[in-house]
Amino acid sequence: MDLLQFARGPALTWAATVFVFGITWRLVGILLLQRSPDFSEARNATSWLGAIKLIVTRSWPRREFRQRTLFAQSVGYIFHIGLVIIVFGFAPHILFFKALTGLVWPNLPSAVINLTSAITLAALIVVLVRRLSHPVLRLLSNFDDYFSWLVTFAPVATGMLTVAHFGARYETLLAIHILSVALLLVWFPFGKLMHSALVFISRGTTGALFERKGASI
Amino acid sequence: MNEPDTLGAGLAHSGVSRRSFLKFCTVMASLMALPPGAAQAMAAALSQAKRQSVIWLSFQECTGCVESLTRSFDPTLEQMIFEMISLDYQETLQAAAGEAAESARDEAMKSSYGKYLLIVDGSIPTKDGGVYSTVAGVSNHDRLIDAARGAAAIVAVGTCSSYGGIPHANPNPTGAVSVSDIIKDKPIMNVPGCPPIPSVIAGTLAYFVTYGKLPELDHIGRPKVFYADTIHDRCYRRPFYDQGKFAKTFDDEGARNGWCLYELGCKGPTTYNACATIKWNGGVSYPIESGHGCLGCSEPNFWDKGSFYRPLSTPLADNAHIIAAGTLGGIAAGAVAAGLSRKHQTHIGEEK
Amino acid sequence: MNNLTHINVKVINPLPFQPAGLSGNADAILHEILALLEAFISTGQNGAIDLHSLPLTAADLELLRATLGDGEVSARIHVIGNTEVRETTYPGVWWLTYYSDEGNVVADLLEVTTVPEILKAPAEDVREGLVRLGDLLGATG
Repeated sequence: MDLLQFARGPALTWAATVFVFGITWRLVGILLLQRSPDFSEARNATSWLGAIKLIVTRSWPRREFRQRTLFAQSVGYIFHIGLVIIVFGFAPHILFFKALTGLVWPNLPSAVINLTSAITLAALIVVLVRRLSHPVLRLLSNFDDYFSWLVTFAPVATGMLTVAHFGARYETLLAIHILSVALLLVWFPFGKLMHSALVFISRGTTGALFERKGASI
Repeated sequence: MNEPDTLGAGLAHSGVSRRSFLKFCTVMASLMALPPGAAQAMAAALSQAKRQSVIWLSFQECTGCVESLTRSFDPTLEQMIFEMISLDYQETLQAAAGEAAESARDEAMKSSYGKYLLIVDGSIPTKDGGVYSTVAGVSNHDRLIDAARGAAAIVAVGTCSSYGGIPHANPNPTGAVSVSDIIKDKPIMNVPGCPPIPSVIAGTLAYFVTYGKLPELDHIGRPKVFYADTIHDRCYRRPFYDQGKFAKTFDDEGARNGWCLYELGCKGPTTYNACATIKWNGGVSYPIESGHGCLGCSEPNFWDKGSFYRPLSTPLADNAHIIAAGTLGGIAAGAVAAGLSRKHQTHIGEEK
Repeated sequence: MNNLTHINVKVINPLPFQPAGLSGNADAILHEILALLEAFISTGQNGAIDLHSLPLTAADLELLRATLGDGEVSARIHVIGNTEVRETTYPGVWWLTYYSDEGNVVADLLEVTTVPEILKAPAEDVREGLVRLGDLLGATG
């Protein structure tokens, strides 16, 4: 078995299994938690509208803080959107999802993916530099932050090298790229990357609570 | 019959003009990217050389490799190689049979001891004492060890002798292995392919006959001159890969337009061979040019790397069951965790 | 569908180069010929360029052909397929194209020399020819 066979075979299988196991464990564990009883009288009967509303409003800079948060939020948006485009728009990735789920959708031209990857990498480097240089942010950061950054950065960087056939043989680059994705999958449910699911749950919960109380959202 | 001393005299003896010989050397030098002046030096050296004694052993194989070299088009430049070597034993090509053939081989092994070139096609079965392939009651394993002892170098022709090939494929019922798995103390050159390109076989043999040594090899024993680039690197459909234009099925618009076959499982990006430049059947085409993806036949374990039609970027195994099991396990673990937390929550509530 | 002609096959040029596209390699080769000619005149050193060793576009080859042109000598050698030997308009610069038996180009070289080696009758072949002719005359006469 060579490295690529290992990456495409057991490494992916186990990484994907750990990934779904971890995700379902954490989601089910959180969703089945006991709600603390609320004895106050509800101002609004339906609270889910507030949940959705808060998810949307909190995803946008508030006017009062705009000047201070605009840069960080823009860069954050850039690499998040970039990641979505790369993961779901690149033809070989779609083949990957097709093999797993049977679903197919049209791919984007390679030039778009290449440009997006370059922008995403740059944005990821910017957020790392900011994290390292911003005194408060640096104080708040722990291993989880840096490692989560690394396992996000690595697949994009190795993916670009693989497409360009740069630095090593293609089969080695592809194997390293797939292994970096495997590492991402394994880390995903247990580190801060889990925010991709939990951010909606926490905002939704807050929004529902606010709606019930009649607070402005 | 008196065999002429030198190769030059031998060629004249069999009616091969020196011009055709020079042409052969020119073409081979060009193929192997030797400096253009090398052809004349090669021709001069060869015409003074003695005919290289070659012993060709066929083990667990299909004879496709010999077919590739001998049955392409007649007469070909590649077949000139047979004028340059003294093929002292080749089961498919020799006229002699039985005792006569065996003794011809033993005689050649004795008289050219330490100097002959050993060519092997086919893998070597090792299970159950190697009984799965024997010639004249001698197992391939024993024959190889015996013949390798006096060889100047060994050339493994085809993927089977180079890496085990199809007999080595899972579950490998005969315990088939490659030449380099058994012989460790001789220079071995692998010329893989299923079969290898005729010019590649001829070119590497011509190189050995001319220079008396093997050409430069890569990390898995292949001559770099032919196996340095991937099919994908030299593929004429590469621009479509770069543009992200792929054929999705074998009869869609993309396939008709000659777009890249990556999505149809082409192994071109991970396969090192010269098909895209030298091509097949006298330069007519190569698999991708004929509309089918590369199978990766010159790579180790090509038979066990998943379906030929599974794209390189997809998982090898069918993961549905294990992922479903992981999901169920996650739900169970989550439920247990939530149950414990609830208990804890109630406990805290009661304390209050 | 019972007729192959019903399959609508469209072949488009897969190469990224336009017909007019030059890679710059033709120009490099022309300058190399210049250097080889100078060396040949001053030292008598023969030179050769393997055209397969460089990626050349159709336009590159066309430029080479147009620049070098056809000179006074051209010859065909019939050994395992054809070999075309053509002198260019620059004496001493030869274009040799080797074909396989099926008519494919198997080697394409430019040589800088008085007479390409493959045109000359090899001394051993001449000697063997003498023997054969002698045998023939001896046998018949």
